[in-house]
Formats: sequence, C-alpha cells, structure tokens
Amino acid sequence: MRKTLLFVLMLLLTAFLVACGSDSDDAASDSNSESSGKETASQDSSEDEITLRVAWWGGQERHDRTLQVIEMYEEQNPHVTIEPEYSGFDGYFDKLNTQLAAGNAPDVIQFGGNLNDFVLRDVILPLDDFVGNELDISLHDESMIDSATFDESFYGVTLGTTAWGVLINKTLFEEAGIAMPSKEWTWEEFQELTPQLTENLDGTYGAGDFREDGFGVFLAQRDKFTYKDGEVQFEPEDVKDWFNLWKDLRESGGAAIPEVQVAASQTPEQSLIVQRDVVMESIASNQYSAYTGATEDEFELYPFPYNSETGKNGISLRPSQYFAVYKDSPHAAEAAKFLDFFVNNTEATEVLGNERGAPVNSEVRDNLIANANETDAAIYDYISLISETSDAPFIPNMPGYNENTQLFTETSQIIYYDQKTVDQAAEDYYEELLQNIEKYVNEEE
Amino acid sequence: MQQTANANEVKLTKKKSPSSARKQAIAAYAFLIPWLIGFFGLVLGPMISSLYLSFTKFDLLSAPKWVGLDNFITMFQDDRWIAAAKVTLTFVVVAVPTQLIAALLVAILLNKKMAGIGIYRTTYYLPSLLGGSVAIAILWKNLFGMDGLINQVLAFFGIQGQGWIAHPDYALGTIIILATWQFGASMVIFLAGLKQIPKELYEAAAVDGAKKSQIFFKITMPLLSPVIFFNLVMELIKSFQVFTSAFIISEGTGGPINSTLFYTLYLYQKGFTQFEMGYASAMAWVLVFVIGVMTLLVFMTSKFWVHYEDGGKL
Repeated sequence: MRKTLLFVLMLLLTAFLVACGSDSDDAASDSNSESSGKETASQDSSEDEITLRVAWWGGQERHDRTLQVIEMYEEQNPHVTIEPEYSGFDGYFDKLNTQLAAGNAPDVIQFGGNLNDFVLRDVILPLDDFVGNELDISLHDESMIDSATFDESFYGVTLGTTAWGVLINKTLFEEAGIAMPSKEWTWEEFQELTPQLTENLDGTYGAGDFREDGFGVFLAQRDKFTYKDGEVQFEPEDVKDWFNLWKDLRESGGAAIPEVQVAASQTPEQSLIVQRDVVMESIASNQYSAYTGATEDEFELYPFPYNSETGKNGISLRPSQYFAVYKDSPHAAEAAKFLDFFVNNTEATEVLGNERGAPVNSEVRDNLIANANETDAAIYDYISLISETSDAPFIPNMPGYNENTQLFTETSQIIYYDQKTVDQAAEDYYEELLQNIEKYVNEEE
Repeated sequence: MQQTANANEVKLTKKKSPSSARKQAIAAYAFLIPWLIGFFGLVLGPMISSLYLSFTKFDLLSAPKWVGLDNFITMFQDDRWIAAAKVTLTFVVVAVPTQLIAALLVAILLNKKMAGIGIYRTTYYLPSLLGGSVAIAILWKNLFGMDGLINQVLAFFGIQGQGWIAHPDYALGTIIILATWQFGASMVIFLAGLKQIPKELYEAAAVDGAKKSQIFFKITMPLLSPVIFFNLVMELIKSFQVFTSAFIISEGTGGPINSTLFYTLYLYQKGFTQFEMGYASAMAWVLVFVIGVMTLLVFMTSKFWVHYEDGGKL
C-alpha cells in the first residue's frame, strides 16, 4: 500500500518536473498560439529547419486571413515553420513588454503607431541590410517608408495605409429625415446637424466623441501638430478649443452624454455606432469593413468636417500597422523574407486584402483595386479621396503612447463630469503631457 | 485543526521502528518538494529581486539603475498614487465589513434545520467560487451598464437609472457590491463556527428567559469571535489586493477618472504599460508593509474583543 503510494508520488513528481522543464520553452506561446509540430528552435540548428515566431493583434477576420497566408508561406518554404502568436489588442503590448524583458520576444512583431517607442528602446532590428536582397520595398510608398525610418535606418514594413474619417450611419440619417451633408462639410454644419439628429431619433445621439485621434486632425486643420520634429507643436489654447467644442456639442444635445460615452467600447461589434447609440463616430478607414460587417445598417465614410477658416480637413494618409523584426531574432534574414512575402506577393496580399489598410506596394494595390468587392471599393475610394484632398503631413505618435492616451481619456472624463473647468483641465493636461514626453525621450538617451 | 492532526500523527510514529520513521520523513520531504521548488523559485527569489528593484529605475530592458529612496519619495508626490491609495482604502473600509456582515447573516439563516438546506448552502456559496472570474466581471459590467438589467428593473418602478459603471461617483460602488456578493468563503467558515457553539448554552439561556437579541450578543457573538477574527484578517488581506474586477470593468484604465484605480491596478499599469518596473516594485513593497501593519493592528485589538473559551492559550 505504502509502496504504491510512493510510486504514484514519484510519478507525479516526475510529471511535475517535466512539465516545469518544457514550460520555460513554451512559456511565450500563450493559449492562442497553435504550437506547431516543432518544439524548439535552437539558435543554430541545421540550416534548413527553422521556426519563426510571428505575433500580431486583431479581430477574428485578421487572424483568419493572416493564418492563411502563413500556411501558404510554409507550403512554399518547407524548411520554415511559423508559430503564430495572436490575440486581441487588450494585453498585447503588456505581454510583448514582458517577452522583451525576458529576451524571448517573437521574431516578427506587429506594431502600430508606437513603433517609435520600441525603436527608442533599442529592441528592433534595422532592416537596411536586407532591403534590396531579401526584402523589396522599391514599389512601396515613399511616405510609408519614411514613417518607419528613424535616424536614417529603416525599421518596419507598413502593412497598410489608412486614414482617419467619420463613419456615418446613413440608415439613421434617413430615419431622422435629414439629408446627408456634402463631403466638404464644416464644423459649423456638424454643430448644426448633430442636435437635429438627436432630436429626431429616439435614444440615439448625433455623434460620439472623436477622442484623441480627432484632436490630432483638429490640430492639423490649424497647421499645428501633436508632435513633430521632436517637439510638441500646439498650445494649451488648442486643447481648450477642442474640449469646448465637445462641451458645446453635449450641451446642444448633439453629442452623446457622458455615461454613454464613458462606457463606449472600441470593439466594432460593441461600438456606439453599431449599437445605434450614435449616428457618427470617428474610425480609421481600414476598420470600415469590420464596422459594416457588424450591422444591417448602411454606413458611409466621410472626411472630418473642414475648418471653415483655413479650409483644411487635416487628414493624412498614415500607416496602420507595421511588421518589424526583433533585435535578437536568430533568423533575421528569414524573417525579412517572410515580410517580403507578406506585403509583395500577389496571392498573399489578395488573401490579406484591405484588412490592415490599403497595401503599401503600388502594384499590389492596383491589383486589389481591380478585384475589390463593394466594401473594399468604398475604402479605396475613401483613400483616393483623401490622397487628393489631403493637406496634412503624417504625424507619428507622441513618445509614451500608452500613458498619453490614458491621460487624454482621463482629461475628457474630468470635463464630462465637471470636476474641473475646461480651461483648468486643458492646462493640466498640457503640463502633464510635456512631462510624460520629456520622461520618455530623456530616459532613452 | 491541522496542527492537532499532525501532532497525533507524530505521537503515533514515535512508537514505530526508526527505519519506518525515516521512510516517513523521506515521504514527507518528497511531498514537500513541489511546494519547496515553487516557494524558492516562484516566490522567494522574485520577492528578493523585487526588493532590490524597488530601489532602482528599471524599464524592463536596460539594466536597473540604483536610485536609492527616489521611488518611495516620488510616490507621495504622485497624484495618481494618492488616488489609488484612497480608492483601495475606501474599498477595504467599506467592502470588508459589509461582506462579513452579509456572510454572518446568511450563515445564521443557513444554520437552521430545514428540508433542502444543503441546496441553499451550495447556492449561496457559489458566487464566491465564480466571483473572482473574468466572466463575472464582464457580466457585472453589463448588469450595471446604461441598458443593463439594473436600470431595466429601476425603470419598471419608474426610476431613471444611471450609467453606474461609467460614472465616477458610482463605479467603485458597483465593485464593492460585487465583492460583497462573494461572501461564500467567509460564510462557510461562520457556519462551521456556529455549529461548534454548544446547544446547552442556548437551552440554558432560553430557560432563563433571555431575549433573542440577548442570546445573539451574549452567546453567539462572543463564542463566534475567534471565527470573526479569522475571517476579518483573511478578508482584509484579500481586499487590499483586489485586481481582476477593476481591471476588467474599467478595461485596465481604472476609470472613469481614476475612480476604480485600485492600488494593484496602478501598480500593473506602472510596471507593464509604462515600463517603470522599479517604481512598481517599490509600490508593491509599500503595499506589503501596509497590509502587515493593518494585520498587526487587528491582532493587537483582538485581545479586547476576541473571546477564547480556553482563555486564549493556543
């Protein structure tokens, strides 16, 4: 009896130790990642058998398309096994930070406008050595290459071009019995339209808050910028104007009330516009298909209302996401080859479509436009409308993206609930923003 | 209870041959190994390194830089840290008593003899098993949302609801209610405590014509006080470390306007989203210190209100 017990115990112990041992190898791949056949990727294994780890965030549609392309790549390159590590946006960067700290980050990593933060922290590999060899960027838009170039080194391949816009629920406009505005509308028209919409519709507000991204566009309309050439290029006055604009909109009934706004979700399916809580919301153009896919209503994408004094819409074409390579990746050249396939290969890009934005390779883009369905065509139309009317340069994120975004949201909420006057809140925001930026920039140098 | 069980075992083994005692010792250590590995590898090691990191500036990637007491000094000038401390203290001061009172009241009700009592006990215990989970936090968010069930019920009675979770004055309240609802674990311990009270005492009191309230305050409460004390300490320690519900309900922001910025949530933000791991470590050690002091305080007051039948000699 006792012997049996001891035996069982030893067995359990062995199992535990084994589990511990293999855990450290796999610790990085979370529940989402499908561990594919090969267990380990030793640094200098036989040259033809390698494993690449590729990480991205997104919704289900992006996962499906990306996985399909990975399969295609593995078929064409039998010596490469790709371990995908994908998840939603929540927690993606928290996990990545932990992996970077532990030195076991994926080989290929998707970044957003915060690529600069990570380049500053010296964890991204410059791709210059591969350009022209493994990686062809000759047909890529110059501005998108620039956006991933820091200190004259090229760090990431742009996965798509996108532009901010105002998504409008056309069906609700019809229900309210109000004619759609022209695509060259102004903030004055916006201020006039939104309260009418709220009034004519039951339980729906004219617009949801345009948030921090909207503020960036608003600034560009005044020829000011959040952060350009290493400095903040706006004044507290601009912050006051922006928050006063929205305060007035709430008071006129045009914008959603605080309780609705604060509880708003950024997931397309649960967003205010899809839930019919608001008629208009600001989105990035590559999200258009996710939003239209989540509703029966008819949506249309508009540029931001123009500033009637400067006559500018302030919208620029911008990179949606990048793929970049981890500095300590043992297979950097193979990673670069994968990037090349991902953005330049005709079949691969046909699968990926417009989901991360309009392709950055002009040939690929022409091919996709020629074969676009209705939804995608609407996005390409919008992108070409913007490239014709665009009057603002691309502005990368301010350093310290996470912290700044939270600060902006907090400031909006302080104003929603009258905890400070707009003037006071705007000045406090400005002061703390400067401190944040200084902290991030100084820390890295 | 565990201690006495062990003591009995020790007495038994003494009578056996030395070799079987050694075998038992080996078996005991073999059983302990998984725990020891876990303790040294996953608890003690990280704790020591976090103590070191708390005196450094550490962004997770470059080597930590020694900054002495800077992190601790910064804390008291950091408005968000102060907000987080306030939120957490409010939570502890409100949620711990309400949860204990709820647990005690339900335990008293469930101490009655009636048909199907087992089902009731299980039912009331369930929330404490589920309550800490992500799923419940999401459920809560929907219950208290603008179009949530709570508001629909209120609307039925003609009361205009609020966006409870979206309003800085009410968001913390919804989390306190969530915590109160998870009274099951304390309730089970209270129930066990109630069962231990000798029936003779109640019978004697009834014979003497004591009122129900008198019985409760003169018999039940004093005899239950060691259990109350135990539950109080456990809940106190647990409440200081609340994280999941606030993280999910506020989507990791601690909003609206830091109203649900729990201490641990702010610590997480500092460490993992703002790359200030040194500061986060310092925060963690301050929390350890505060929990330690609070627990000590409760222990010190215990001699005034905790009544042990055997005179408190453990």
